[in-house]
Amino acid sequence: MTERDIEFKVFRYKQGGAAPAHQTFTVRCDENTTVLVALQDIRRDQDGTLILRHSCHHASCGTCGMRINGREELACVVKVFELGTPTVVVEPMRNMPVISDLVVDMEPFYDRFNAAGMPFIRESEYLEEAEVAEGLETYMRCENCIECNLCVSACPIMGTDPTYIGPAALAATWRVVEEPRGLDSRPLLDWVDSQNGCWRCHVAYECNEACPSGVLPGDKIMSLRRELTKRKFRRLFGR
Amino acid sequence: MDNIQPTTDPVRPKAPLRSWFDVRGRSLSTLAFALNRLTAIGLTIYLFLHLAVLSLLLRGPEGWDQFVALAKNPAFLLLDVVLLFGVVYHMANGIRVALVGMGVAHTRQKSLFYVLVGIALVAFVVGAVLIFVE
Amino acid sequence: MQSSMSRRSLEEMATRRDRSGSLWLVQAFSGLLLVLILGAHMIAHHFIVEGGLRDYQQVLDYVANPFVFIIEIVFVITATAHALLGARAIVLDLRPSAATMRVVNWVLVAVGAVAIGYGLWLAVALQRAAGA
Repeated sequence: MTERDIEFKVFRYKQGGAAPAHQTFTVRCDENTTVLVALQDIRRDQDGTLILRHSCHHASCGTCGMRINGREELACVVKVFELGTPTVVVEPMRNMPVISDLVVDMEPFYDRFNAAGMPFIRESEYLEEAEVAEGLETYMRCENCIECNLCVSACPIMGTDPTYIGPAALAATWRVVEEPRGLDSRPLLDWVDSQNGCWRCHVAYECNEACPSGVLPGDKIMSLRRELTKRKFRRLFGR
Repeated sequence: MDNIQPTTDPVRPKAPLRSWFDVRGRSLSTLAFALNRLTAIGLTIYLFLHLAVLSLLLRGPEGWDQFVALAKNPAFLLLDVVLLFGVVYHMANGIRVALVGMGVAHTRQKSLFYVLVGIALVAFVVGAVLIFVE
Repeated sequence: MQSSMSRRSLEEMATRRDRSGSLWLVQAFSGLLLVLILGAHMIAHHFIVEGGLRDYQQVLDYVANPFVFIIEIVFVITATAHALLGARAIVLDLRPSAATMRVVNWVLVAVGAVAIGYGLWLAVALQRAAGA
């Protein structure tokens, strides 16, 4: 197994402390070392004050979102060697306040996301052939969104306007409109039919590129706009 | 939307210009957006300059024909080429943004970009050659 | 299935709707119309004319055609509306306060009215000159 020393240039900041700066660490990595593992190594062996957030290590919890070499990624599934750079720059996600080092305050994210009221689970489309087990009506699965905030970090409009609803909450809104499951979606459509809602998107589609979970928030925003465009034309022609 | 928690970060203040135009490491669609915005600003300024220049027509043949002679200067023609690029790009990407933004063909927005901007680039090259040849 | 999250009051959410969607649609449709008119404008004025620009007499002959006159007027209105709605979208991205945005809206309406008024006046003056 090949091993190599890789430099990590890590964003450092503590609330109430000095201005943000990058600190460089060197970590011995092999083919299987992920950025998250390297950061944990730094925390364990070199600087216990480095703060990061993680949980599952397999891209299903959405906790370890950060910017790696300027791209939004889940650190747990990015292999250091595959980045192909001698230095790996690691920074916290953009467009949410930094709490400490690589950890951002997710409150503004959940404030938006929860407003959509999207149920966590949906009927599974993957087991159509399977016989449903006794006691179950149907097989269910989790919604695609893992609430990682990567789409919000990547969005250029979130980077200019602190009150934009943003791609994650807009995508969640579309899921409710697409499949209301007993929820009233009309007030939600009104909510996003606003200057801080889906009309604010400028079709840069960075959210689609950043999403690790197949949500494709950009496509969902455009679906909302199609629905609202139809609604506006129906109103215009009195139907 | 004053009831929503702002995403303000005192440590990293929002920087609109960097957010719109710093396309390093970003996708093709962000480049498309940045160019669209840049050409939009240029074309808006040009529209008002163009309207102002047209007032020369009110001064009769002397005023206008003098301007026409000036506009055939090579430096002016070079500006025309820049303008032509702005117009054809903004048109082509604008068609994509208008369609995609209304939820039409939005799942094929990248293909739409390649086709429309490809046509625009061909039109630009033909137009640029014509500007200098004619 | 009930939502597992707490939504805001639905009445409160419904009050957030504004005219931004309609303005965006005006911008989109004016843009699509401009593709046709501006394309025709550029070809007619710059690519089929020998030398790339009409001289004074050629301009007068051109605007004397009532069809051209109407197209040029539609062009001025559409281009101005499209440009100023675009400018508004950019200003909005700079997150101005509500009071600033009100002023910006009025300024843009004023600039648009002056530009369109001037364009109409110019077109009429040229048509009169062509008829004289």
